[in-house]
Amino acid sequence: MKEIKLMKGNEAIAEAAIRCGADGYFGYPITPQSEVMETLMALKPWETTGMVVLQAESEIASINMVYGGAGCGKKVLTSSSSPGVSLMQEGLTYLAGAELPCVVVNVVRGGPGLGTIQPAQSDYFQAVKGGGHGDYKLIVLAPASVQEMADFVDLAFDLAFKYRNPAFILTDGVIGQMMEKVELAPFKPRWTNEEIEKNHPWATMGKKQRKERNVITSVELDPYKHEDLNKKLQAKYRLIQETEVRLEMIACEDADYLLVAYGASARICEKAVEVARSKGIKVGLLRPITLFPFPTLEIKRLAAQVKGILSVEMSAGQMVEDVRLAANGVVRVEHFGRLGGIIHSPSEVVEALENFFLKA
Amino acid sequence: MTDFKELTYVDFKSDQLVKWCPGCGDHAILNSVQKAMADLGYKKEDVAVISGIGCSSRFPYYMDTYGFHTIHGRGAAIASGVKVANPKLSVWHITGDGDALAIGGNHFIHAVRRNIDMNVILFNNQIYGLTKGQYSPTSKRGFVSKTSPFGTVESPFRPAELCMGARGHFFARCIDNDLKHQVVVMKDAAAHKGTSVVEVLQNCVIFNDKTHEAVTAKAFRADRTIYLEQGKPMVFGTDSNKGLRLNGLALEVVTIGENGITEKDLLVHDATCSNTALHLMLAEMEYPNFPVALGVIRAVEAPVYDQALAQQIVDVQEQAKIKSFNDLVMSGDVWDVE
Repeated sequence: MKEIKLMKGNEAIAEAAIRCGADGYFGYPITPQSEVMETLMALKPWETTGMVVLQAESEIASINMVYGGAGCGKKVLTSSSSPGVSLMQEGLTYLAGAELPCVVVNVVRGGPGLGTIQPAQSDYFQAVKGGGHGDYKLIVLAPASVQEMADFVDLAFDLAFKYRNPAFILTDGVIGQMMEKVELAPFKPRWTNEEIEKNHPWATMGKKQRKERNVITSVELDPYKHEDLNKKLQAKYRLIQETEVRLEMIACEDADYLLVAYGASARICEKAVEVARSKGIKVGLLRPITLFPFPTLEIKRLAAQVKGILSVEMSAGQMVEDVRLAANGVVRVEHFGRLGGIIHSPSEVVEALENFFLKA
Repeated sequence: MTDFKELTYVDFKSDQLVKWCPGCGDHAILNSVQKAMADLGYKKEDVAVISGIGCSSRFPYYMDTYGFHTIHGRGAAIASGVKVANPKLSVWHITGDGDALAIGGNHFIHAVRRNIDMNVILFNNQIYGLTKGQYSPTSKRGFVSKTSPFGTVESPFRPAELCMGARGHFFARCIDNDLKHQVVVMKDAAAHKGTSVVEVLQNCVIFNDKTHEAVTAKAFRADRTIYLEQGKPMVFGTDSNKGLRLNGLALEVVTIGENGITEKDLLVHDATCSNTALHLMLAEMEYPNFPVALGVIRAVEAPVYDQALAQQIVDVQEQAKIKSFNDLVMSGDVWDVE
């Protein structure tokens, strides 16, 4: 029987983590996502699945506890909001360099600096382009509903372990705080140590006789070998780009204009498409579900069909750069978005579209 | 030219609406710091108030002085930068138990170890109030909160132990509902050269109400706390008939008049003793076995980082052969082209 619940996005992350067989969560309070840890603590998974939940002394500690757990081949995650995720960047680049799977959730709020506790999408660059130092990529998923908040935890772990790479859920205060109906996945058992040893031979599970010693590191001291390590990472990112793009298209078949938006902005743009079409403007929406890998080919294809593309983000314009690269000058690409924690309305989006493309 | 006017505590209030909850202990700390500054004859332009993140960290908005509202846990480092860059400023670092002891623990101990001349006012309410009720590094073992619905399974820090463990030279403790004493302690902290750590036992009316009440409530405060004063015997109690003495290597509560004990048997407080042993024992006292120590527990003179740094620059400049840019250009192998 289906298990359906009304929950907040943040609560869905917590519930889904337990259900997908996560081994550990490490976090530190920060608005607007403290409910993730609070829900986990209230659900006491250590008594049912054996999952560990720990309140760390900072986000730096959280991500490094994740580093430790991931090195043991365990399914571990953390969550935070923008300023806290900035603190995690060092850990993330080391995790990526050491090819360790883990899940990190960013419930984005307005910045820069301390910013506000209101929702924003101004951490796109940080999530998609790096954030930490070095040539690395995170697999970035962008849920647009509470259902996807729940579903993407499991998906993120699958992708993280498939590619031995940190997977990142880039969401925002709207999706984190709003309540929607969620169909919960059935419980998956946590992996046994035998399963981890068999499926993840790189994990530090203790040295047994005639077994290679596993060392977790992000460095090869020989610079030529370190270049090889980098080449291997880049080949992996190319493979991810080729195979893991996920997106949703709404009313794109006959569209004259295209909106590109993810997360909460995509929800707003769904309504904007309706409003525009009621005014006789044929507008479609492309919603990237993966931000890395980015749906470049699909945008390139639509760029040849439409008369204009509007990238809609709650930021000063970050994803718009990737949309422009995809459109590659074939069609005009503009950006619209409110800043610092203010959410745009569907009518504002339509008005922006009209101002950019329909006024002489 | 305007006439010089002595400032009162009201002059240190800014035009901002104070947004702490009604009944929050933070209001009293704000008032006592303002009163101390007025009493000390501070000028507004000579003061910088630096905070991190948390309820306490709204403090700079409410002070009509220079102020920084900075990064969670990093206030001590930023305050260190301010003091070193501008040693003439009186630097006040406002922080809480989460800000200073969890995420900022590293910066806190190093600021204390360096002995930079600043006043660290540590609001200890044993809870994360701003994020609405998670346990903090000073929450008691077993404390129930949103992130510990079945009680914490970890032991708390005692700020005094951290301070003295980091070789701190000034530690004082006061309570949010004794304003008069707070002002005295704030002034002592300000007068001390070096890092002065003041722990204020502060009540969070919303998320951790009455956490210090068993000790600080007026009805039993006299019996459950001891106000330490330099050079005075350690006496406490409603009838001022209880005291502290050393029994072997441990402190002991005794009653004057019982078993032939007189005031002469009691310990006399000396905050200036460089040995931390007794200061630590006093700071560690907890109700119900002991009274909680209030006042300046430790105040020892020691080299001050910012002064030593400034002096080092002067010394090196004096000894240097190169006194100007011209000297530098003309140093080493130089010759005239004829």
